[in-house]
Amino acid sequence: MKAEPQLALELAGIKMNSPLMAASGCYGYGFEYAGWIDLRDWGAIVLQGTTLEPRQGNPPPRLAETPSGMLNAVGLQNPGIDYFLREVRPRLGELGCPVIANIAGESVEQYRELAAILDGVGEICAVEINISCPNVRCGGISFGRDPAVVERLVSAVRRVYRGPVIVKLSLEAGDLAAVGRAAESAGADVLSLINTLKGMVIDTACRRPFLGNVTGGLSGPAIRPVAVRAVWEMAGAVAIPLIGMGGITTLDDALQFILAGATAVAIGTANFLNPHVARDIKTGLRRYLDREGLHHYSELIGAAGSALHRR
Amino acid sequence: MDRDNKLEHRCLLLENREVVPGWHLLELQAPDLVHASPGQFVQLRVGRLTDPLLRRPVSIHYAEPEKGRIRLLFRVAGRGTALVSGFKAGDNVDLLGPLGRGFPCLDEEEPAIFVAGGIGLAPLFFAAAQRSRVSLPFEFFLGGKSGSLLPPEGYFQAHGIKPRLVTDDGSRGGSGPVTALLEEYLETNKAPLRIHACGPGPMLAGVVELARSAGAAVHVSLESRMACGVGACLGCVYPFRSGDQVEYRRVCREGPVFNGEEVLFES
Ligand SMILES: Cc1cc2nc3c(=O)[nH]c(=O)nc-3n(C[C@H](O)[C@H](O)[C@H](O)COP(=O)(O)OP(=O)(O)OC[C@H]3O[C@@H](n4cnc5c(N)ncnc54)[C@H](O)[C@@H]3O)c2cc1C
Ligand SMILES: Cc1cc2nc3c(=O)[nH]c(=O)nc-3n(C[C@H](O)[C@H](O)[C@H](O)COP(=O)(O)O)c2cc1C
Ligand code: FES
Repeated sequence: MKAEPQLALELAGIKMNSPLMAASGCYGYGFEYAGWIDLRDWGAIVLQGTTLEPRQGNPPPRLAETPSGMLNAVGLQNPGIDYFLREVRPRLGELGCPVIANIAGESVEQYRELAAILDGVGEICAVEINISCPNVRCGGISFGRDPAVVERLVSAVRRVYRGPVIVKLSLEAGDLAAVGRAAESAGADVLSLINTLKGMVIDTACRRPFLGNVTGGLSGPAIRPVAVRAVWEMAGAVAIPLIGMGGITTLDDALQFILAGATAVAIGTANFLNPHVARDIKTGLRRYLDREGLHHYSELIGAAGSALHRR
Repeated sequence: MDRDNKLEHRCLLLENREVVPGWHLLELQAPDLVHASPGQFVQLRVGRLTDPLLRRPVSIHYAEPEKGRIRLLFRVAGRGTALVSGFKAGDNVDLLGPLGRGFPCLDEEEPAIFVAGGIGLAPLFFAAAQRSRVSLPFEFFLGGKSGSLLPPEGYFQAHGIKPRLVTDDGSRGGSGPVTALLEEYLETNKAPLRIHACGPGPMLAGVVELARSAGAAVHVSLESRMACGVGACLGCVYPFRSGDQVEYRRVCREGPVFNGEEVLFES
């Protein structure tokens, strides 16, 4: 009998049964899908973004469909960290898979405070620092552009959070590799990329911007080639593991990110089309490994080329 | 693992019929969805490819538990619904559902008033048919652009619904807005009664205003663009009054049916 090809991994100490993760902001707190979907299909779930204070989010409309993609301008609507600890945290154990918190702030100090609060919270196995949200004015992406700021921010979080620190990057950073290296040298354990790309739709009938927030973040298959390129470049720039994402809908998409150098992949928008996307890709990946005579999916990481060795 | 509670359903399309120009009725074999309540909806996948990307929300228009069938009634509004209008009997239709919360208190004795604007009749038809089946009192007010664009009498009568009609051009029923029918009714009929409405935003705002002055309970079914349909993406929100604050609630999860008094309609 052939041994079953293995999908299990440890990502900076996070034990995952597969390299498939639910992307932040696309999977709520996990409960929204829990009654319907077997969440053990996920290696880990990244929760929606949390801020110190509650945030109302942006005015509607918040969604616009685009060719093979969508714009969202949710604006980090969330009930704040106190509510999270009181109401969400006690139930996270029910999800049955590792849970990662995603945090966003308006200053280095706020990121530090959030990380300090989450340090030691047993239900959370890592924090992902969102420094790449295109939908909030005084936070998010402005932190992700400047390597010096990234270094300061990640160090501040590193000092107060003992678990794995994941830094989520966008492409809006001018020099992606420099930003990635800054995060790495400040002590990030993992980088995740990419966040949505800032875009805009104009309602021609009304002759004004369609979204309530004017601009929004583009996600879905439309951004995939750009995201694969970003992972490929980052794999050549840093030594820490990468979580690749952006438009993954099929096994082939997931393979592209892994071959480009991602250790794990996250899936956001595709859940909206196919709520069983994790199960489907997981099954497909097992079959693929079987067919190709591979023992573990990790044999594929970065296998598309020499990116890893260009460093 | 197979969960009892399935979210995604592949349903055999039994019939796709154009009821009036631009309005299609889909009859589907969907045994898992027949226990949906009026006001709940499904997220319909309009194509196999990724363009158009998102599913489209459509209300459950009628359910027949005995036959394991449901019906959807939709208006061709754009690319997505145009694709659905081309679906053929024998096709498999991919639905998520049943989703959201429907109209409350449909089994109460006090009279129910249904106020529908155009395709807004889709979920209200289901609600009214349910009351009709158990002989509970109700009125059905329906407004549309023109008589030929609304289903014929027989469409309603088969389910014990006798709608009072108005059209913009006066070609069927009286002319004028459907809110005028409600206003007239409320002049002679006093609370307690319960109003359920679905239609364009300005019409709903008018209905809520009339209900407020008559002291009647009012629930409205709202529309918004959706992505996930299950409450996970926070994309479909609508503004609500919460004390003196504005609060955004998810149409797909807390709704699509809401207490009309709390909705902040665009003025
Ligand atoms: C809970 C719910 C239940 C619904 N039930 C029904 C139903 O039973 N029958 C029916 O015909 N329609 C229903 N709708 C509306 C239906 O979802 C939209 O008409 C449809 O998504 C339009 O898709 P499209 O690709 O054809 O049009 P698009 O090309 O996407 O848009 C065409 C036009 O419709 C507007 N529009 C698009 N999506 C929506 C939306 N979700 N809500 C409001 N306006 C929109 C656009 O702004 C544009 O003006 C429902 C909507 C919701 C939220
Ligand atoms: C509706 C929506 C909300 C999102 N919210 C967040 C968020 O709060 N924090 C974050 O780091 N990323 C957020 N993202 C970005 C996703 O996590 C992901 O990086 C991006 O959508 C690309 O992946 P995809 O194409 O698979 O969706 C959001 C994306 C969407 C579509
Ligand atoms: S459509 Fe995603 S929260 Fe309502």
